[in-house]
Formats: sequence, structure tokens, C-alpha cells
Amino acid sequence: MFAALTGSLHIGLAALGSAIGVGFIGMKAAEATGRNPGAAGEIRNMAIIFAALAEGVVFFAIFLVKQG
Amino acid sequence: MRLLAMLWLILVGAPWAFAAEGKPHELSPKATILWDFGWFAITNSMVVTWTVAALLIVITQVAMSRGNAVPTGLQNFWEWLIEGLHEFLEGLLGAHLIKGTFWFFASLFLFILFTNWFGLVPGVGTVGWGVVEDGHFHLTDPWMRGGNADLNMTSAMALLFFALWLFWSIRALGVGGFLAHIFGGQGGTGAMRVFFVAIFFFVGLIEVISIAFRPVSLSFRLYGNVFAGENILESMLAHPWLGWLLPLPFYFLELLVGLVQALVFTLLTAVFTSLMIGQGHSEQGHGTKAPEGAPAGH
Repeated sequence: MFAALTGSLHIGLAALGSAIGVGFIGMKAAEATGRNPGAAGEIRNMAIIFAALAEGVVFFAIFLVKQG
Repeated sequence: MRLLAMLWLILVGAPWAFAAEGKPHELSPKATILWDFGWFAITNSMVVTWTVAALLIVITQVAMSRGNAVPTGLQNFWEWLIEGLHEFLEGLLGAHLIKGTFWFFASLFLFILFTNWFGLVPGVGTVGWGVVEDGHFHLTDPWMRGGNADLNMTSAMALLFFALWLFWSIRALGVGGFLAHIFGGQGGTGAMRVFFVAIFFFVGLIEVISIAFRPVSLSFRLYGNVFAGENILESMLAHPWLGWLLPLPFYFLELLVGLVQALVFTLLTAVFTSLMIGQGHSEQGHGTKAPEGAPAGH
């Protein structure tokens, strides 16, 4: 089954990294909002920015890696 | 919501993985050219870009046509939208800076948001010319395609922002102030001073590289998210007998992604601008990079 594995390792690792990054951001944002509900708005904004920055990495890998 | 979507995919999609017949729909990264005038070609994503821009202009004109004091209906909605954006960005940019730059960030946000959502209207990307192969119709070049699913569009916006950012910064800080802001930094006396100046020079170089990388990261992020979303929907439509049900949750996921990406693109451009010429940035002494609450994006 593994012999048929195709695809690019670079993109897989990049996706793994950015998924973990976004997960951490979500975790910490939820925690921070729990600890200080008053600042939920700012926390949400920063969480969105950082999640987007982390997610951007996988697209660099997708488009910048040489295929094959 | 995403977990539900993933579950849905596994339950419904799994049998598809083995039962898929016919070539998987592969959305080409390049927009297809509709009319080619030799030196200038009109592609299907340009058509969508112009339509969305025209729609925004018309809606704004209609909303503001009567302009009565107590807004009702469309004018009320449009004023709420613009004032909400203004208040939100003012919190980020500060009252002084927002006066000169709000026009850009507001139109950027509205344009990206409506282009993303316009690309999800049924019919965009699925209606067009095609060929009939072994009995059924294969769509080869759709008449319309999401504006941001085309790297040219996103890099055009990112480069436009980069030019504006340079213009605003140099206008606000002056060329000397601009360079001092990037390479600036005091500290230490006598021999230590030379050491510090060298350090800050290299820090400045890294800063220059990160500034130069911003247009790339802005355009790739928006293009990647929107194009990947369209690809997901496109490849799910190829499901033999459940092609209409499978992409349904991802369709709404794309609505959310469209909003988030528009928000992120605008927020990042606003943050980059406020890092250079933000609240009281230029009046303050040029210590090391002023510790701003705002994140330093890369």
C-alpha cells in the first residue's frame, strides 16, 4: 500500500506545521478569552491575524516547491 | 463546524475515493483567456473583477443617492458597514493616520470580500464553453472565475499596497526618517556605540528582507486560500451520484474563508502601515523598534 504513496513531502510537512500552528493559536486564544472575557474582541482579532499568518506558510510551500 | 465538515467528508467521501470514475475535475491555476487581442487578453477572472467593481460602485451610488439625514434601508446598511469599518480601523491606525488611508483599506476590504463571495455564486465557474466527450459535456473554459483565484489579481493588490506604503511612509517620515526608522537605533557610548550601530544595521537588513517579502506573502495567502477553496469544491463535484451534497458544508466554509481572508488582508496591510507611521510613531524618539501591541507580520 505504501509503495503507491505519491505527492510532495514538502507540502505535507508544511501543511502539518501550519495546522499545528493554527491549533496552538486557537488553544491559546480560547484560554486567553477564558481568562479575560473583556478583551475577547482584541484576542479574536489577533488570533485571526496569527492564524492567517500560520496558514499562509502552506501556500508558500504549495506554490514555491518544484513539482516532482 | 470544521469537525462536522470533516466527519461529513469521511462518511460521504470515503466510498467516493474508490468509486470515482471519470477524470477528476482539476481547476487550472491560470485563468482562461476569453478574448485575446494579441497584446492584451481578457481572462474570465478579469470579467469577475470588473463586474464586482461595477456592482460596488452602483450599490454605493444607489445607497447614497437620496442621502437623507435619517438613513433607511440600503443607505442605512451601507452607512453601518462603512462606519463599522472606520471605527474598527481607527482602533488600529489611530485618528491621525486613518484620515489619509481609510479610503484604501475600506475599498480593499469591500472589494476582496465581495469578489470572494461573488466567486461562490452558483454559475460562476461552472457555466461556460466546453466539449462533449463520450456522451456528456465537459466544461473547458468557464465564462467567469473568482477574481482572487488568480495570482495576477492578488499580487496587483499587494504591489499596489507596497507602493502606497512606501509613499505614505516617506511622506510622513521623510526619506531620512524612513531609513532611520528601519536601520535606526541608539545605545551605548564610545566603542560600544560602533558595535551597536553595526548590530542595528544588520537588524535593518533583516527588516528590509521581511518588508520585501510582505507582498509575496500577502498575495500568495489570499490566492492560495481562495484557489484551494475553489479546487476543493470543484473536485467534490466530480462525485458520481452525490456530487451535489458532498460540497455543501465546504461551500459555507468557503463563505467564512472569504470573509476571514478579506479581513486578514486588510488587517495586515493596516498593521504594516501603522508599524511605520502609527500612533505617535514619528513624534516619539527613534529608540529601538517601539514595542507595539500590533504583531510584526512577515
